[in-house]
Amino acid sequence: MKRVLLIRYGEIHLKGLNRPYFERAVLHAIEEVTRGVEGIHTYRGQGRFYLEGYPETMEPQVIQAVCKVFGVHSVSPALCLEKDLDVIAEAAAEMMRERGYVQGTFKADSRRSDKQFPLNSMQLNEELGYRLLEAIPGLSVDIHTPQWTVYCEIREEAYLYVDKIPGAGGMPSGTGGKALLLLSGGIDSPVAGWMLGKRGSAVDAIYFDSPPHTSARARQKVVDLAQIVADWTGRVRLHIVPFTQVQELLYDKGPEDMLTLLMRRAMMRIAERVARRTGCQALATGESLGQVASQTMEAIACTEDGVGMPVLRPLICFDKNDTIEVARKIGTFETSILPYEDCCTVFVPKHPLTKPQLPVVRAAEEAVYAEGGETLLEEAMKGIQVMELTRRPAFG
Amino acid sequence: MIYLDNSATTQVMAPVVEAMCRAMKDSFYNPSSLYAPAVEVEQALTAARERIAHSLGSRALRVLYTSGGTESNNMAIVGALPRDGRPAHLVTTAMEHPSVLACMQRLETQGHRVTYLPVDAQGQVEREALSQAVGEDTVLVSIMQVNNETGAVQDLEALGRIIHGRNPRTLFHVDGVQGYLRLPVSMPRLGVDLYSLSGHKIHGPKGVGALVMRDGVRLTPLLVGGGQQQEARPGTENVPGILGLDAAVSIFETQGEEFAFHMRGCKAAFLETLETALDGWQVNGPSPETAAPHILNLSLDGVRGEVVLHALEEEGVYVATGSACSSKKRNASHALLAHGLSPERALSSIRISFSPMTQRQDMPQAAEILAHAVQRLRRFRRK
Repeated sequence: MKRVLLIRYGEIHLKGLNRPYFERAVLHAIEEVTRGVEGIHTYRGQGRFYLEGYPETMEPQVIQAVCKVFGVHSVSPALCLEKDLDVIAEAAAEMMRERGYVQGTFKADSRRSDKQFPLNSMQLNEELGYRLLEAIPGLSVDIHTPQWTVYCEIREEAYLYVDKIPGAGGMPSGTGGKALLLLSGGIDSPVAGWMLGKRGSAVDAIYFDSPPHTSARARQKVVDLAQIVADWTGRVRLHIVPFTQVQELLYDKGPEDMLTLLMRRAMMRIAERVARRTGCQALATGESLGQVASQTMEAIACTEDGVGMPVLRPLICFDKNDTIEVARKIGTFETSILPYEDCCTVFVPKHPLTKPQLPVVRAAEEAVYAEGGETLLEEAMKGIQVMELTRRPAFG
Repeated sequence: MIYLDNSATTQVMAPVVEAMCRAMKDSFYNPSSLYAPAVEVEQALTAARERIAHSLGSRALRVLYTSGGTESNNMAIVGALPRDGRPAHLVTTAMEHPSVLACMQRLETQGHRVTYLPVDAQGQVEREALSQAVGEDTVLVSIMQVNNETGAVQDLEALGRIIHGRNPRTLFHVDGVQGYLRLPVSMPRLGVDLYSLSGHKIHGPKGVGALVMRDGVRLTPLLVGGGQQQEARPGTENVPGILGLDAAVSIFETQGEEFAFHMRGCKAAFLETLETALDGWQVNGPSPETAAPHILNLSLDGVRGEVVLHALEEEGVYVATGSACSSKKRNASHALLAHGLSPERALSSIRISFSPMTQRQDMPQAAEILAHAVQRLRRFRRK
């Protein structure tokens, strides 16, 4: 009996003439995450992919890896069988027993695309249901709300499966433009990056490094977070900007209650230039409305002012708990809560403006940058270090 | 590069590297095997044991090789518990290394009672409190010889007398990781029953250490296995590590006093420059002269220790701070708080630690770099 993994890609169905493009992207990602599994190969079916040839013992890890691919809607470990009713029914009973599904309700759900097969879908359902009832006395049929559904598809061969394991969903990576994510080392920004990745955007990241006020470990933490995002999206290019001098200039010349705002505006300016230079079409942040003083509606307007590209904020309506939940699920939480990032507290105003007025902020910024500020931003741009992070192989 | 973090670890000395290479190339045999070359390796381990025993005052001491300070401390503390499992009482101080404190805290969750003795601003254990703490059911007192953050040195003889005067059966364990070979110790004379030491603090390799025991002390082993080291600490011995440790001990054997003198000189030179170059700092813990020769702990007004550390790092000077910087969790060093420092002052502290390999002529420059960094950073106070 041959085992296969049946992989469904949800939304790509909708994409009309672009469909082959989306399919290729998701197939490529599936091949990438399963690279190194002995004997594994992929083939395309109608509206789905199949994986086969992998060692049976590795099935759980293969499923886990495939479920991390954006664009994969669900995965079913299936048996690939001869198109013979006796064979199918016997395998179905065995499959139910193997999983301990022997006491409860079920239904059979068949689909026949090979019209040569003697039974149509309805007949196959009935026949399969009857034989399962015979084979396992504890089972009974419930068409409407069964505990388990035995799926049988008659195509090139017969495919039989019970489980549908949800995948990451979303759209394949890289099919939805490219965004530059402002990555801080906190809980929010990696989640924002992951969410954009899930919607098909390629994600690059930018980090503002302020030694000695922040440590090498804080920076390493950001690299680690970018790596975790890359494990999902396939690739993150991380730009590390030396930001100390800008930070200190703002501290020396900026009004105390606007320090964070001016800092974020400087970050936006640098990020936009990096984005344009590297083909990113949008900036992205982990901001959430009202979370802190710099994320009120007014403050966001001030931060975004002057940026000539979309600023995407996937978490804008997320409560902290919602974000934490995602962070745990995607594996960034434990890294995000490491304590290193907070030596910058001297640059945080004690009483920041919560309703800053744009003209006032602009005027303050102009005064700060009056002598040589622009040069400092240029210098920071020149000192950027780039790290290429790619998906870590799960196998081999 | 000026390396001033020798309490964290030390650079391995060249003869140690050579001894370890020889051990790996030539003495690779399992010391428990039965043929002649293996027996030779075993003899080398025995000779190394004798050297360590001798360095602690008596060839009659029993030396158990371990993986380092943490294991030695755990073995001494856990191994001293009553074998019948009845709850026991242990005594330690509030400024111990985490390998002692965490071990004690775990024992508390298991129903044992632990007394944490206070220390004064100089890091001296309060003797009256010690005397009151030790009772009939006290199985062990664990006190560090030299505090790893402030360099506070205990008068072990006086403490040992108090402990054994109160209860002769109580074991006196000394965590000697920071003190070993930097200050002379004679276990029999001081009344010390158990002594932990670590290789990498004395220019030996990491991953090796020892627990040294007065003859007749019996501990329950932490590990069970193939019977090595008379079953007290089974596992094939770390031969290259032990022979590296042995080489380090032999260097200190002949030059220990010279080394201590050199480190004191480095400390004095550093302080001399700092006194003229910078205002607004204090020495934490004991005075630089009474502290262990290699440790100097400073509080620097108006800056965070960790930020200073990173600023020094940019100039190639490496120091430590016991208090990691985090606004969410104000984790000021427990040891400095135990010395009576305010959290604010603890967070502004750095530890500078010297070694025999420290270049004395670098000290004025290092102090200048520190002064300059602090002056630059003092500009940035939270507005």
